[in-house]
Amino acid sequence: MASENTASSRNSVLDAHVARIDRQDKIATGVLTVIVGLVILLVVAIIAYIIARGAGRALTPGFLTNAYNDEVLPGIIYQLWDSFYLLLVTLVISVPISLGAAIFLVEYAPDNWVTSAAKTAIETLSSLPSIVVGMFGSLFFVVTLGWGISIIAGACALTMFNIPILVRTIQQALEDVPRSQRDAALAMGLTRWETTLNVLLPAAMPAIVTGVVLSAGRVFGEAAALIFTSGSAPARLNFASLNFLSPTNPFNIFRPACSLAVYIWRLTSEPTAGSTEIVWGTATILLVCVLLFNVLARLLGKFLSRRLTAE
Amino acid sequence: MSKLDLTRRQFMGVFGATAAVAGLGLVGCGGNNAADTTEEGGDAADAALVGSISCSGATSFQPLVEKARDAFQDANPDVSVAISGGGSGQGLSQVAEGSVQVGRSDVFAEEKLEADQLEGLVDNQVCIVGMGPIVNANVDVTDITTDQLKGIFLGQITDWSEVGGTAGAIRVIQREAGSGTRATFEAAVLGGEVAPDSFRPVAEVDSSGTVVEQVAATEGSISYVAFNYMTNEGIKALSVDGVEPTQENVENGDFLIWAYEHMYTRSDEDAATAPVTKAFIEFIMSEDFASTVVEEGFIPMGDMKVQKDAEGNISQIA
Amino acid sequence: MAQLMPKRRLENIGLGITGFCVVLVALVVVTLIFMVAQQGLSTFFVDAMDPIAFFTGQNWIPEQERYGALPMIVGSFAVTLLSTLFALPVAIGSAIFVVEVAPGFGRRVFQPVIELLVGIPSVVYGVLGLYVINALVKAVFGDAAPTGAGILSGALVLAIMILPTITTLSMDALRAVPNQYREGSYALGCTRWQTTWHVVLKSATPSLMTAVILGMTRAFGETLAVQMVIGGVERSMPTGLLDPASTLTAALTAGLSNAVSGSEYYHALWALGLLLLVMSLIFILIIHLIGRKGAKANG
Repeated sequence: MASENTASSRNSVLDAHVARIDRQDKIATGVLTVIVGLVILLVVAIIAYIIARGAGRALTPGFLTNAYNDEVLPGIIYQLWDSFYLLLVTLVISVPISLGAAIFLVEYAPDNWVTSAAKTAIETLSSLPSIVVGMFGSLFFVVTLGWGISIIAGACALTMFNIPILVRTIQQALEDVPRSQRDAALAMGLTRWETTLNVLLPAAMPAIVTGVVLSAGRVFGEAAALIFTSGSAPARLNFASLNFLSPTNPFNIFRPACSLAVYIWRLTSEPTAGSTEIVWGTATILLVCVLLFNVLARLLGKFLSRRLTAE
Repeated sequence: MSKLDLTRRQFMGVFGATAAVAGLGLVGCGGNNAADTTEEGGDAADAALVGSISCSGATSFQPLVEKARDAFQDANPDVSVAISGGGSGQGLSQVAEGSVQVGRSDVFAEEKLEADQLEGLVDNQVCIVGMGPIVNANVDVTDITTDQLKGIFLGQITDWSEVGGTAGAIRVIQREAGSGTRATFEAAVLGGEVAPDSFRPVAEVDSSGTVVEQVAATEGSISYVAFNYMTNEGIKALSVDGVEPTQENVENGDFLIWAYEHMYTRSDEDAATAPVTKAFIEFIMSEDFASTVVEEGFIPMGDMKVQKDAEGNISQIA
Repeated sequence: MAQLMPKRRLENIGLGITGFCVVLVALVVVTLIFMVAQQGLSTFFVDAMDPIAFFTGQNWIPEQERYGALPMIVGSFAVTLLSTLFALPVAIGSAIFVVEVAPGFGRRVFQPVIELLVGIPSVVYGVLGLYVINALVKAVFGDAAPTGAGILSGALVLAIMILPTITTLSMDALRAVPNQYREGSYALGCTRWQTTWHVVLKSATPSLMTAVILGMTRAFGETLAVQMVIGGVERSMPTGLLDPASTLTAALTAGLSNAVSGSEYYHALWALGLLLLVMSLIFILIIHLIGRKGAKANG
């Protein structure tokens, strides 16, 4: 009798405990579900809000093709061009350097101070606030090298952001190539350099392309590093210009430029009548461009790896 | 394998092409500058103006200068003027270094540069800008004395009832340190006194446009802007000591808060660009352009009956 | 061509080209640190400002030649800590949900959604902050926040910006916890929450801390989004969370264009830049220390 009693009381204690931890578990799961729901809601709300505020202006015919100083409907054609051109120049500079650096770190990297210094340097670069890079650019590229406020100075500043991201993705891509492929090539008597060019790079290409396009999305939206290097005043362009020295020639890399992101910053810090509409319109275009880069990166990666595996 | 090879070759092609483009670009520009100068030097003797100059600095009258540039370039198709912002400080230091031909500033260079940097700088005062206090449209005050303004911006007067309005906190919105508008306003109103450290404005903003937006949106706020910003909605311009902030009152010396817009150039400028710079400055100050100056809210030099020196002393023009 | 060229030479060419790239990157970083340090230290060595007075001075009033960086230092740390405080529970909570509760949903839906947030440029966050968050803060607090600009608004914008950074890194951290740990815990009869709380989170702590520090690094260095919403008052110490203030990055953005190069003001701004640089190096150091400690604890 007595023992039965203790057993049942022990059971009831255990039951209560189990009930309690079960309840705890349910509450925790419930709270977590709410948090995740809110985060998704937040993301959707942010994007929907930007597009709702800006789509009207962004879709107005002429907004994408007019100059900023158009008297009827100010547009963003120059800023759009400058953004893409800055991106192109940045990639032209940063992709080869990042490829070289990544190959060095994966393939050669002697275990000495040069390698560890390089790794530290790249890590430092990745954590630098963009305004510090901008300040440095405004002194080094603009003044010391004498390039002036120019696209090339801005692109070099952007390159400094882009390199750590690119080096990391390319490194990852090269390391992911199966060991067997590399060993086979080396066993056939190819040098490391030949192996890299003939075997590793082609095999890693889909991941590299994805990485480059993804980084392009980030570069495209950067503004703080550009304000003091490529300028913040909207540049006037003449698409018919054949004089490559002219500051209005779209291809001149020694002219000041104003990207979409910088233009948004400038309009919010120096608003004029009606500029709020332009800000939202430009923000929508910028957002759509960046999202397109993300989608493009995924599609390209899939497409290339399918082609590669099909061979 | 052969296909792999092709990818590699394609890749190398792209790689090579990019490298070549990068190389070309760099070489191209290295050569550019040299070609630029000789070409311009040769053509300067001819009647037609050829060359490119850059102009950076104050953003306050940048729209006016851009208008001038458009008209100037239309008249001289082989000339290009690159205009960038950057603020008065940047304009002055760049023209002092010689990295731009024209540096815009809304303060006298003497206030920003060291004596040795001033050497060789030529002060071209191209027009005048008047400034005055503005308040939120709901503030029921229309006139204010200079002393009251001073009290407000020194943090001594903090309620509208002290200056004849309905009781309510006065919220001061300032321009950021280094703004030319702020320097002009404080020189004319504060008379050399400085606000105590404990005084905190509700915002320090980067531009006149933002001032207008913030004053319109903030109950009981006060700030100051150039005349051309005073027409915006939601704000109200105050008269100072009974004098309306109008161009006429500035011209005849009744309204005291105004400044010159300066375009600094160098007396030792390169012969290749000097004629273009000179022509551009002359164009902005010309009679033809004066109507645009007025339209944009500035006052042409020719209309002024008083003048101001770098120390802020005002005198009648003889 | 390859046949004509001795293998060793080919290899040297490869080493040369790639080595050049690495050296170039390292050189740029060294130049950057050198130049920022040179300009920043000019404040103390050329303009003979007292470093202690500079870093503890409570007033930044350039027109009176008074350069005290404390208001901006306090502003930077306030927005960084506050935004981390806002973002942390949400980030870790979401990470737990998508790793421990609904992994399939996490990979297919949540990850792409949160990556959208990473992609939004910082000026766009600034625009949202300026037109939405400032108005919201103003509406909620009324007269206490007359313009809505201030530390709280800055922290809210930053919280949204660092949320994806902390979330994705936390997800990686939780996924890296070996499954045996969980299975062992379940075998003892623990519920999912007990397992998560006592086993998974505990063993992932070092990586989670790294995630948080990386989020803070981003918040500390973020420039335009903060500058657009914080109000930009540098002259004296902020007195509350609703007070307009400034950060190191915001002061640089607003000040650099008005400073004449070579002037005392210009050097003082570079000293702020140097401080930012040093802080980001310290953040890296902390991450390394955590990594080393974690490796030791697990090893």
